[in-house]
Amino acid sequence: MRELETLQARFGVALDANDAGSEALGMFVGGSQQAGRRLRIYRGNTLANAARAIEAAYPVIAKIVGVEFFSGLARQYRLRFPSQDGDLNEYGESFAAFIADFQPAAQLPYLADIARLEWQVHRAHYAADPASFDAASLAGLTPEAQLQLRPQLHPACRILHSEYPLARIWQVHQDAAEGEFDVDFSAGASHALVYRPHFRVEVAQASDADAAFLAAVREGRTLEAALVAAQACDASFDLGRALNEWVASSVIVNFKLNGG
Amino acid sequence: MSLLSSSEGQVAVRGVGIGLRAPHYRELLDSQPRAGWLEVHSENYFGAGGYDLHVLEQVRSRYPVSLHGVALSLGSADGVRQRHLAKLKRLVERIEPALVSEHLCWAAIGPRHFNDLLPLPFTREALDQVVSHVTQVQETLRRRVLIENVSSYLQFRASELSEFAFLAELARRSGCGILLDVNNLYVNAVNHGFDPVEALLEIPVQAVAEIHLAGHSADGDVLIDDHGSRVAAPVWSLYEAACRRFGPVPTLIEWDTSIPALDVLLEEAALAARVLQAEYA
Repeated sequence: MRELETLQARFGVALDANDAGSEALGMFVGGSQQAGRRLRIYRGNTLANAARAIEAAYPVIAKIVGVEFFSGLARQYRLRFPSQDGDLNEYGESFAAFIADFQPAAQLPYLADIARLEWQVHRAHYAADPASFDAASLAGLTPEAQLQLRPQLHPACRILHSEYPLARIWQVHQDAAEGEFDVDFSAGASHALVYRPHFRVEVAQASDADAAFLAAVREGRTLEAALVAAQACDASFDLGRALNEWVASSVIVNFKLNGG
Repeated sequence: MSLLSSSEGQVAVRGVGIGLRAPHYRELLDSQPRAGWLEVHSENYFGAGGYDLHVLEQVRSRYPVSLHGVALSLGSADGVRQRHLAKLKRLVERIEPALVSEHLCWAAIGPRHFNDLLPLPFTREALDQVVSHVTQVQETLRRRVLIENVSSYLQFRASELSEFAFLAELARRSGCGILLDVNNLYVNAVNHGFDPVEALLEIPVQAVAEIHLAGHSADGDVLIDDHGSRVAAPVWSLYEAACRRFGPVPTLIEWDTSIPALDVLLEEAALAARVLQAEYA
């Protein structure tokens, strides 16, 4: 092995170690006491940088469990899932799976699902921008031809299903949240829709019919096929109302002609 | 090196700029203060789209922009991470910045990334590696990059060169420019016990294309480069010495922790501009 590689591998092991890293200290100028103290500065930096990334991606979890418990969670997470990328905005993907297994968090069974939602919110922030939509290109289509259009979701859009009222839990933990801080945990399973109007990521609850419609759209199916899927859940599904709302909130950002 | 020195179509960076961080987005776009140029951390804009890139594109239309990378890990013994380099290339093509810079350090080995600026052993072997990695980056980006001296708390016994002799050789062999961080130089001079003014003499005058200024703090006998305060008095003195030697090099005020009001950064920038003019005149 080349020397540089050896030195970096030993430095790396010492940074991840819990002890004084005494084996590595001999590589550095100065006594082992001084080198040990200074090694701890680097150890603190790498831990703090990873913890900051987790904090930035999971602000709702941090609010629910409190700062102290959260910093313990972040530390434990880093031990099991150390960073492997220079882009810290991609760090923390496995936090939901980690929480689901984390015994001290078992009293809050919805926590893992909140983490799943927050990761999608986090990634939605960095998702691609949609191409601009020229509504004029659709003018003059017959109603039959309109039903063959394929709606396009905003690249930031995601739909999650959970046994818990995810969207409501997320909403009451936002800084801008107003009104009653109440969540009805007996409300049963629900869908959370993540969307990004004007660069700001939002979460809303979606009905079974809404979710079925948007899942069909995500699969690239036609307006007609998506409508059939939605009406299978709810015969009274109102296509006009839904499309107006989703176009206005940039959930749907384009309509493509069949085959186009 | 015509391929690498080409900067046609790009606005030149002049005078004193400030580091742009997310807490100042709104105020900067609304008030559009006088600043020579702005520098951002490249990795914060690695997404495919979204708010940060949207802001950066607006900023880019009003100010010259410098992209400053913090995690490419040019000193890794096992090479530059291709995925990271590809994201940087995408960003550079989108923003067409006036400057692109990175650090003389390492951060990743094997599968692990430490997300910190770790010190290198200044050996001939490491020099060959870094020259080859910087060359690879410049060829990929089709432009010259600037490489910055980092602050450090540990020095390797294996080092054969001083940090600045290493950086000078890197610049000579790869054609890269030097981003001289005067605060890092001062921090290292204290942490490792050398004369920072003498170290300036090791740096080739023509290679220095940008200077960084920032605050540091003290932890016992160690100075910590935390970019969390105003530039310290001895760093201003060293900056004066650097201006005398290197001329009117574009200078940046950086602030990354306990970020104050935008006005405080602009005040620091005004102080730097006064030094820059006085020492060069």
